[in-house]
Amino acid sequence: MERGGKGSGSTLGREALAYADTLFNLARYLTGNPTDAEDLVQETYARAIQAAGQFSPGTNLKAWLFRILRNTFISSYRRQRHDPTVGGLDTVDPIAHGQDAAQWLRGDPELDRLRKVVGEEIEQALMKLSEEGRSVILLDLEGLTEVEVAQVLGCAVGTVKSRLARARSALRLYLKDYAR
Amino acid sequence: MTCQDARMSLLEYQRGRLRPAAREAIRAHLESCAECTREDAVERALDDALEQRMPQHAAPLALKRRLATQWRDDPRMRPARWSGWGSALVPALAVAAVLLAVLPLYYQRAGDSTRSGPAMVTEAVNDHLRILSSEHPIAIESGGIHQVKPWFEGRLDFAPVLAFGGDGEFPLQGGAVGYYLDRKAAVFVFHRRLHTISLFVFRAEGLPWTGRGLEQVGTVMARVTTSRGFNVILWRSGELGYALVSDVDRQELTQLATKISG
Repeated sequence: MERGGKGSGSTLGREALAYADTLFNLARYLTGNPTDAEDLVQETYARAIQAAGQFSPGTNLKAWLFRILRNTFISSYRRQRHDPTVGGLDTVDPIAHGQDAAQWLRGDPELDRLRKVVGEEIEQALMKLSEEGRSVILLDLEGLTEVEVAQVLGCAVGTVKSRLARARSALRLYLKDYAR
Repeated sequence: MTCQDARMSLLEYQRGRLRPAAREAIRAHLESCAECTREDAVERALDDALEQRMPQHAAPLALKRRLATQWRDDPRMRPARWSGWGSALVPALAVAAVLLAVLPLYYQRAGDSTRSGPAMVTEAVNDHLRILSSEHPIAIESGGIHQVKPWFEGRLDFAPVLAFGGDGEFPLQGGAVGYYLDRKAAVFVFHRRLHTISLFVFRAEGLPWTGRGLEQVGTVMARVTTSRGFNVILWRSGELGYALVSDVDRQELTQLATKISG
């Protein structure tokens, strides 16, 4: 890290702290509860401090922090608890359940239902997705490009594209149930 | 182009990330394919639900304080070149402290001749007038904030933060890169009935923000004023500054500022 330059500790710290809300939101959706989310964010910042020298000024700081957060989640949290969302609908090959989806999507009421769903229902539907599905939806929502999401998740860009398509398809199906 | 091809690229199309030729191909396909047009509408409705209604969980203040302390107190985060320079820096810091105390008073008294508060209002109105008179004020047409915000990547040295991406009352028309005083700004254009509303988002650092006469607007303290018949709301949030300008009435502009500031 360049001391005293754009990437100095104090500058990097100030910029990193500006993402506290965004990181906490992602952590909250990954862990499913505020207490674990707080711990996860705090651990993320601790690791960011340790790895500050590896951050290249001028690159996407938000994506870098997201990557640390997700890696921390995978290594520290996911193994500690049974994850009921592993193997969610978004991990299934879309062809396998595509018929059901296509059948439902033929009806115009989907648009009306989507327009009526409320925040709590969206959150519940999101939490039904696998951790990978939730992550890709949330990172996409944060405005990260597919290339940046791939860097955060440590996978190929094509994988991001297919995961996102599966996750959104599953989300639409889950939201259908709430909006009825 | 087949429906499968179109749907593979639909999200990138909606986010404005396709090259012109590919974008045009999708647009042409959507015009001739009812199924894909509907799919496009449903995907946009899903984006709208996620962007507008999905609960956003803010970090608790206590956590933010802990994080700030954690970062500040870690020895790895202290600039090494300052070690041992403490005694030499004391006089310089004293001078800097005096300047920091005196300069705001100077700027405040200097009035319109400097970049003072009134100059920030004047600049906001001038920038808004440029948008009104421009034939092409929008560089990226809006398919929602999800499409507009990523467009700024690589065009600005900061990421504009908006808690609101337009709705039926205040539709977002699109965005562009502009200038606010001496710095680049993200420009967002909203509408209210037939009125145009300009929002400029820029780096707040180094501008003469005044702490007097502020009003509570949503979650922020803002300067709400009128200049040349336009209502102007100025506020800062973290490292970013916001200027909202329009001829819509003050109450409606405040309503939009509340949504934007979250």
